[in-house]
Amino acid sequence: MDRAIRRRLLVPLLCAFQIGIASAQQEPAPRLQPQPQPPTQAAAAATPADAPVSAAAERVYAQVRPSLLQIRTLVAAAGRQSSIGSGFLVGADGLAVTNYHVVSQYALEPKTYRLEFKRPDGGEGALELLAIDIANDLAVVRVDGKDLPHLAFDPRAVDGELPRGERAYAMGNPLDLGFTIVEGTWNGLVERSYNERVHFTGAINPGMSGGPAVDTTGRVVGVNVAKRLDGELVSFLVPARKAAALVEHARSGPPIGIDAVREEIDRQLLEWQAGFYGALVAKGWRSTTFGPYLAPESEAPWFNCWAQTNAEKTPKPRAQIDGSTCSTSSALFVAEDIQSGSAQFSHAYVRSSELNAFQFATFVSQLPIYRSAGTTGAWQRKRLTRPECEERFVAASPTAPALHAIWCARAYRDFADLYDVALTLVTQDRDHEALVSRLVVQGIAYDNALALGRRFLEGVAWTK
Amino acid sequence: MDEVTWIEVLPRHREHALRQRVITDSLTLGRAWDNDIVLDDPHVAAHHLRLERDEGGGWTAHDLGSVNGLHVEGERGRRDRVVLAPHLTLQVGHCLVRLHRGDEEVAAEVPLQRRSPWPAALVLVALVVLVALLELWRGETGEPKFIRYVTGALALATLLALWTAAWALVSRLFAGHARFGAHLLVAAAGVLAYSLYDPLCELIAFALSWPRLELYAWAGAWIALAATCFAHLRVVSSKRLRLKAVVVGALATLAIATQALTIADRRADWGQPIVLQRLAPPWLRLAPARAPAAFFDGAATLKARLDAARSEEPAGDDAAAMMMSD
Repeated sequence: MDRAIRRRLLVPLLCAFQIGIASAQQEPAPRLQPQPQPPTQAAAAATPADAPVSAAAERVYAQVRPSLLQIRTLVAAAGRQSSIGSGFLVGADGLAVTNYHVVSQYALEPKTYRLEFKRPDGGEGALELLAIDIANDLAVVRVDGKDLPHLAFDPRAVDGELPRGERAYAMGNPLDLGFTIVEGTWNGLVERSYNERVHFTGAINPGMSGGPAVDTTGRVVGVNVAKRLDGELVSFLVPARKAAALVEHARSGPPIGIDAVREEIDRQLLEWQAGFYGALVAKGWRSTTFGPYLAPESEAPWFNCWAQTNAEKTPKPRAQIDGSTCSTSSALFVAEDIQSGSAQFSHAYVRSSELNAFQFATFVSQLPIYRSAGTTGAWQRKRLTRPECEERFVAASPTAPALHAIWCARAYRDFADLYDVALTLVTQDRDHEALVSRLVVQGIAYDNALALGRRFLEGVAWTK
Repeated sequence: MDEVTWIEVLPRHREHALRQRVITDSLTLGRAWDNDIVLDDPHVAAHHLRLERDEGGGWTAHDLGSVNGLHVEGERGRRDRVVLAPHLTLQVGHCLVRLHRGDEEVAAEVPLQRRSPWPAALVLVALVVLVALLELWRGETGEPKFIRYVTGALALATLLALWTAAWALVSRLFAGHARFGAHLLVAAAGVLAYSLYDPLCELIAFALSWPRLELYAWAGAWIALAATCFAHLRVVSSKRLRLKAVVVGALATLAIATQALTIADRRADWGQPIVLQRLAPPWLRLAPARAPAAFFDGAATLKARLDAARSEEPAGDDAAAMMMSD
């Protein structure tokens, strides 16, 4: 039991780093390949400037510290903390910003959990949830009190962007060790990301989620949100603009009722997926050639693509596989066991002159891309229904090969109208050559999935 | 003494019969050595019974005062005196005692089995091995290794031999003859039928794009096993075939029902969707290729089922996980 609780405590902390988690869940293994990273960036950030810098950090820490909060999620029955995060006050009236994922346990299960804050001066109290923004992983909460110290947003960060290389400080309470300041470098918005995130080169650790990142004058430039588990010091901030907007929204509107949080999440996810998949469709598709086949690939810029081949394997494989996998890092944290909103498409072109038709078909069936046909990602029975599948031979047009098509879908139990869908296609025109294509979309409305799937299916064609 | 009479004594396990022609009008049976027929059974008295022939040639059995008494097989209650009718069997302790008259009808002569089962059995064994090797070769996607085929064939042949030997032993125990060849023929036929059936199901599931077939195909394995076991029992002895069929059929039904429940339970727990596990060459396709519109119409109909499943309780250990988090 003790171990179970301890495990339970650690998991939400790790989940705070959603991008790392999301990339760990991707089916093929792009993570195994060396990721091109700017190696000089960290070195540049670490250029010692000695005394003045240190003095600046001391000043910033002293200035910001009173406005920091540790936000604790407690198991209501036991009164013990289940996960911890950080936050910061943005108004004298007690309004504070944190990450949605810091308060998600309470937001989804208000009967089981409750929220508490702890201030650096030792003050404690209950928190009220006012507003959430799933797409940007933000939440606004209220602390009881008057004339509280608070932080202001940096207008440069709200209106536009800071220059890359600007010094920034991430603050929060990492691993429940106490309020801490971490020096790092602002590296602008992450390129090719649908959700706006700032690349911050600095160490953000579990427990700092929801804390502020401030500039040298102590004004908020972003909110600590995530880090990559496969890199060093590659961390992410939610832009200050998004936080300022949500604070504005919370100030002007009525607080969200705790019982209406689920509907609000559902509404936001639906709205987000309509925007994301709408943009995806609007960006259009291009065709990539794989042997005699054309495979559809999205023109949208926020896909990260990796190629795979088995050409170098020894002993020499009896069938050659050339594949590519494109995925977005747009996964949204909904709960520690639900990630929504990621999309992935992959292709594997297989050919062999050594295998006979039966052996070749068996070979194709053993490919991971085909083996996963019946799944749409990690299997969370608590959160998703059992998959339902439709499997048929399909012929799109006379200029396209017949396909063996498998459509599998699961519904989110907690949210109406959201589904995870996977479409797997195997060309059925040659005995020794095949293209296996797979589209996986998570957190999508069914009609959008059907339209996207159809576009994907019709994108598989012959080159001539 | 024109009449010919035989006395037949079957000891407890009926492993052999003592038969003796009766030439006197009176016989005593018991464990003591002064009896005419000595019964080696601890439940028999030293002087257990006397058989006497009357004037008309009929026989009567008299209890000589035993503890366990005299019984008629198939009837209840001990008797002091039994008039022996044809086909009546006495029960004395654990022994059975019968008298046969010379004019009793015997069963017709059974012709010798001239045709040896061996040639057919060996051909079937060869076919079984061949099909298994073909199956191995069909799934060979790596570098083919000769030794794998050799060990595969040997393992299969050994398994078949052990199975057959077990049945031959049963035959030898209960029917007196091992009939290894006949059992081998049955075993090989059973295995051959199943090893053809299984890939055929796989290919049909692909050809018709009917993955659900794989969901039920395993039942064929039980049916093949049951049919094989019944055939083995028939080789052992062709008596009471109906009873054997009923028992084997009931066991197979029980096995199929148990596995069906287990699979349904696991599917509810693990939610494995039914998709084709193994593809086949495209030219085996029989089902027509649909237009994309029709396919996505089919996919659209799943939505209703998914929506209905939303409100169902998630099965299995998720409940336990939720308990732990509390």
